[in-house]
Amino acid sequence: MAKKIFTSIMLVSSVIVTLGMALIMGILYHYFNQQLFRELQKEALYLSRGVLQDGISYLKELEGEAARVTYVDTDGTVLFDSETAPSSMENHADRKEIREALASGSGKAARSSVTLSERTIYYARRLSNGRVLRVSTTQYTVIELILQLAKPVMWILGLMIILSLAAAFYISKKIMEPVNELNLEEPEEGETYEEIAPLIRKIRNQNRQIQNQLAAAKRQQEEFSIITENMREGLLVIDRYTMLLSGNSSGWRFFDSKDKTGQSVYSLNRSEDFRRCIETVLEGKHTDSILKIREQHIRLIANPVAGNEKTEGAVLLLVDMTETMERENLRREFSANVSHELMTPLTSISGYAEIIKGGLVKEADIQSFAGKVFDEAQRLIALLEDTIKISQLDEGQIPYEKQNVDLYQLAKETCKSLQEKANNKNVHIYVEGGRTPLFTVETVFREIMYNLCDNAVKYNKENGSVIVHLEQKAGETRVIVEDTGIGISKAEQKRVFERFYRVNKSRSSEISGTGLGLSIVKHGVQFLGGSLQMESQEGEGTKVSMVF
Amino acid sequence: MARFEKQLEELHVQLITMGSLCEQAITLSAQAIRGKGKGLCEQVLRTEQKIDEKEREIEGLCMRFLLHQHPVARDLREISAALKMITDMERIGDQAADIADLSQYIDDAQFQTQVNVEKMAVAAVKMVTESIDAFVNADLTLAKKVVADDDYIDEEFNAAKEELAGLVAEHRLDIKAALDLLMAAKYFERIGDHAVNIGEWVQYSITGTMK
Repeated sequence: MAKKIFTSIMLVSSVIVTLGMALIMGILYHYFNQQLFRELQKEALYLSRGVLQDGISYLKELEGEAARVTYVDTDGTVLFDSETAPSSMENHADRKEIREALASGSGKAARSSVTLSERTIYYARRLSNGRVLRVSTTQYTVIELILQLAKPVMWILGLMIILSLAAAFYISKKIMEPVNELNLEEPEEGETYEEIAPLIRKIRNQNRQIQNQLAAAKRQQEEFSIITENMREGLLVIDRYTMLLSGNSSGWRFFDSKDKTGQSVYSLNRSEDFRRCIETVLEGKHTDSILKIREQHIRLIANPVAGNEKTEGAVLLLVDMTETMERENLRREFSANVSHELMTPLTSISGYAEIIKGGLVKEADIQSFAGKVFDEAQRLIALLEDTIKISQLDEGQIPYEKQNVDLYQLAKETCKSLQEKANNKNVHIYVEGGRTPLFTVETVFREIMYNLCDNAVKYNKENGSVIVHLEQKAGETRVIVEDTGIGISKAEQKRVFERFYRVNKSRSSEISGTGLGLSIVKHGVQFLGGSLQMESQEGEGTKVSMVF
Repeated sequence: MARFEKQLEELHVQLITMGSLCEQAITLSAQAIRGKGKGLCEQVLRTEQKIDEKEREIEGLCMRFLLHQHPVARDLREISAALKMITDMERIGDQAADIADLSQYIDDAQFQTQVNVEKMAVAAVKMVTESIDAFVNADLTLAKKVVADDDYIDEEFNAAKEELAGLVAEHRLDIKAALDLLMAAKYFERIGDHAVNIGEWVQYSITGTMK
C-alpha cells in the first residue's frame, strides 16, 4: 500500500514540477527577452545620440563598459566594434538586423551560438547620417538554462522522494489504522471508512457462515462421540501408516491402555495375529478374526477405508467374545453331558433287550429283566421330563396362574413325600416357621422345594438333618433350606447350577440323579422373580437361601 | 504430516514390528526347549530370518533418513538409538535360533530336572517384552526396571551353573546334556543383556544421557 501511494505521489509531483517549471520558464524567458530587448533599444538610443555628437571616438571611450556595440557604414562595412577589430570583420550588409535597419530605421535579430549554449540578441538602429549602430547582448539559451537548472532540480527531486516516502508511509499507516483495528468477530463495531462497508458486510456473512459450520461440525462430533462412547464394542480408526486417528474408550479398554491417538496401533498390541490382521486390512482386504488379547477372546472386524484406489486407512471394530466363547464351551459340555446321561440308561435297556432276544434268559428271569428295562426307561423319562421342564422355564412358556399359596403347607407336603427316603438314611427333616402366604405359581414352587429338599436328603450324612426355614418380613419372603450334608467345595459352588453338572463325576455313583435338580431350582427362582444364594462348607453342610 | 514426521513414524512402526518378532522368536524358543510342540525349531528359524530382513530394512531407512533429512537433537538421538537397538534385537533373534537349535539335543526329561533354565527362559521373555514395551510407550520407568532386572537373570544363571555342576558330579546327568543346558542358560542370560541394552537405548533416546 505504501509503495503504491509513494508511486502515485511521485508521479503526480513529478508531473507538476516538470509542467510548472516548463510553464514558469517559458513565461519568465519570454518576459526577460522582452525586457532585454527594451534595454537594448534604450541603449542604442543613448549611444546613437553620442555617436552623432562625438563620432567614433565616443564609442571608443565607452569600450569595455557597455554592451557590445558595432558601428556599420551604409554599405555594410564595419567601422567600429567594441570587441573585435573592424578590419577583421566581414561586411555586415546581409545581416538581418542591419538590412532591416537600413530599410526601415530599426531591426532586430537573435542568433544562437554554435554550441547552442548562448543566444545573441541584436538591435540595430539607423542614425540620421544613414549609418547603422548595432547593440547586442548575449543570454543563455533555454537548453543551457535547463542544464544549469539540473542540479537544483535534482535537489528538489531528492527532497520530493524523501517527502513522498514519508508521506506515503504516514498516509498508508493512517489509512490502514482503522482497517487493522477492525474487530473481525464484530466488524460493525468501531469507526471505519464507508468505502470498506461492503468488505465488512462480507466478513459478517462469512463469520455467520463459519459459526454455523463450526456449530454443525461440533454437533456432529458430539453425536458421534456420544454414540461411540456408549458402545460396548471398541472402535478404532487408523490411517494407512497404522497411526491411530481416533478411538472410543471401549477400544482403549480392550487393550487396557490410555488414549493413544496419534501413535501406532501396534503400540496397543503387537502380537503376530494382530499384526497380520492390520497388514491384511491395510492391503485393502476385509478381515474378521478372533484374537486372544490379555486372556480375553476378542473378535476383530477390520474394514479397509478406500480412498482413490488406494487404501487410506481402516476401521477396527472389537467385540468381546469371551462370554460367548465360554457359553460355547458350556454348550459343548452340555451336549456331551446330555448324550452321556441318555446313553447310560439306553445302553442298559439295549443290553437287557439283547440278552432276552438271544434267548439266553430263563423264562423265570424275564420278569426281573423287564423290571430293569422298565426302571431304566423310567429314568430316561424322568430325565427328559426334567429337561423339558428346564427348557419351559427357560423359554418362559409354562402355562401358569399365580395364586395364594401357603408355603408352610407346601413345605410340609414336600417333607412328607421325602420322609421315606429320609428315614432310609436316618435323616431328620422338618419345617420351621408358621403360615407363610405368597402369591406365586404353585407348581413351579413345589418343583423348587422338592428338588432342594431332595438334594438335601440325598447328599446328607447318616443321622443328619434337613431344616426348611420360612420367614416373612418387610414384604420379603425368605425360604432357607439347610442341611448337614457333605457340602460343596468353593470351586464347585459356581457350577452346580449348570445343567447336568454333577459334583461327583463318576456317574455310576450310588446316588441317582439327573444333574438337573439345581438347574431347575435356579431357573424356577428366576422364573418367579426371586433371588438365590448358596453358602456351603465342604463336609459341614449346605445352606440355600431364596428371597421372593 | 510432514514427510519428515511420516518417515519417523514409519521407523517407529518398523521397530515395533521387529521388536515383536524378537518376542515371538524367544517365546517360541523357550517353548521349544521345554519340549512343547514339534516344528517349533523351524518356526524360530523362520522368525529369525524375518528379523534379519527387518534389520536390513530398518538400517536402510535410518541411513536414508540421515542422508536426506539431516536430523538434529531428539530426532537424531532417536535414529541413532534405533540403529543400535536393531543390532541388539538381531542378536536376540540369533540367540533365540541358537536355543531352538540346542533344544533338538535336550530331551524333555533332562529339561525337567532344570527348574532354573525354565525360570531363566521366563525371565528373559519378560525382559525382552518389557524392553520393547518401554520403547513403544517411551516409558522411562519401565526401561529402568529392565536394566535393573538384569541382576536377577545373572543370579539365576549362576544358580543354574551350580546346579548343573552338582548334578554332573553326582552322575545324575549326562555331561553332554549338562553342557547343552548350560549353553542354553548362557544364551538366555545373553538375551537378558541385550534386553538391558535396548532398555538403555530407550533411556538415551528419551533423556539424551548415556550411562
